[in-house]
Amino acid sequence: MVEKTIIITRFDPDRDEKPRKQEYTVPCEDSWKVLDAVNFIKDEIDATVSHRWSCRMAVCGSCGMMVNGEPKLTCKTALSDYDDRVDIEPLANFPIVRDLVVELDGFMHKFESVKPWIIRAKEQAEDKASLHPEKDTFGQSTEELGNFKQFSMCINCMLCYSACPVVANEPDFLGPAAIALGHRYNLDSRDEGAEERHDIFRGEGTVFSCSYANECSEVCPKNVDPAAAINQAKFGTVIDWAKGLVLPRGGTK
Amino acid sequence: MRALLLKIEPIIWLLFGQGILIGTMLLTGWVLVVGLLIPMGMVDASALSWDRAHGLATSWLFGVIPVGQLLLAALLVLPLWKGAHHVRSLLIDFGGAERDGAVGSLLYGVAAVGSVLAILAVVGL
Repeated sequence: MVEKTIIITRFDPDRDEKPRKQEYTVPCEDSWKVLDAVNFIKDEIDATVSHRWSCRMAVCGSCGMMVNGEPKLTCKTALSDYDDRVDIEPLANFPIVRDLVVELDGFMHKFESVKPWIIRAKEQAEDKASLHPEKDTFGQSTEELGNFKQFSMCINCMLCYSACPVVANEPDFLGPAAIALGHRYNLDSRDEGAEERHDIFRGEGTVFSCSYANECSEVCPKNVDPAAAINQAKFGTVIDWAKGLVLPRGGTK
Repeated sequence: MRALLLKIEPIIWLLFGQGILIGTMLLTGWVLVVGLLIPMGMVDASALSWDRAHGLATSWLFGVIPVGQLLLAALLVLPLWKGAHHVRSLLIDFGGAERDGAVGSLLYGVAAVGSVLAILAVVGL
């Protein structure tokens, strides 16, 4: 048991013009994660503190916050890694709704825009020929799964958006998680939607806005490595561009 | 200006990527040899005499590919684009997004002029 000063960013849109800081003295157990301290404040000290959390096991992606200025999944971040004073703020690069809760709409819209589902050229009913004869499913080898599995581990915690210097400067930038997700579906052997997704995240002013700071991959709690996905997407665009020079209509049709 | 920059993104990125490759692999060795090993006497300075360097730069592969000139041109041209693109990205990250059209064009312009001069110099060997 050790006492720590937890500094929480408070913001009530009805009363405050801008966010302010409030300090709480919290008796912390050695085994606590940062989220445990915030939950303690909410339960035992000040019930007006607002924050998001759910699973406490780094699966739901709800409890992302800035801890001493770095985006962290607070349920996965040991409190013992920090000194006596821990500064907890809402995720950077997002509008604040209240206290530690940020606005998700813009992010969700970006996420949806890359069409993160399997697109088949034909309707599935007409597509029986490519189904696995016994299981009535699309077959996929371990290698084909391995091509994209890493990029499918994203839990939508948005830490990469808080860390990304391009998102900070250009709020319209599609961002690491959304590009990685679009790339994940492009890599899926069952998917035929790469062309449909081209303008969304590989066209002009999209993926090349990334300035390869690599911060997204540094902060990712699930080791998704969005920076690698973005660079692979860039390379794919270059190949398509080169094909377009040589083949009619880029050799796509 | 920015519209043009967006159009040529894939080409710039390709040059940039190759510039990183060449820059990190070959220039590191160059700095090691010329900056450290020769001054420390670990490599004989005559290894980089004009005759030897010129012979290397003008060597041909199978009598048809001017491999020396190609490598030298790549070594001079690609890092220019790598540098221009890196500086442009850095300036955007530090808040220069609004001036990106003009600044980016200037940086790529410098890289383009440098490339032409480098290629002319290499061809004239």
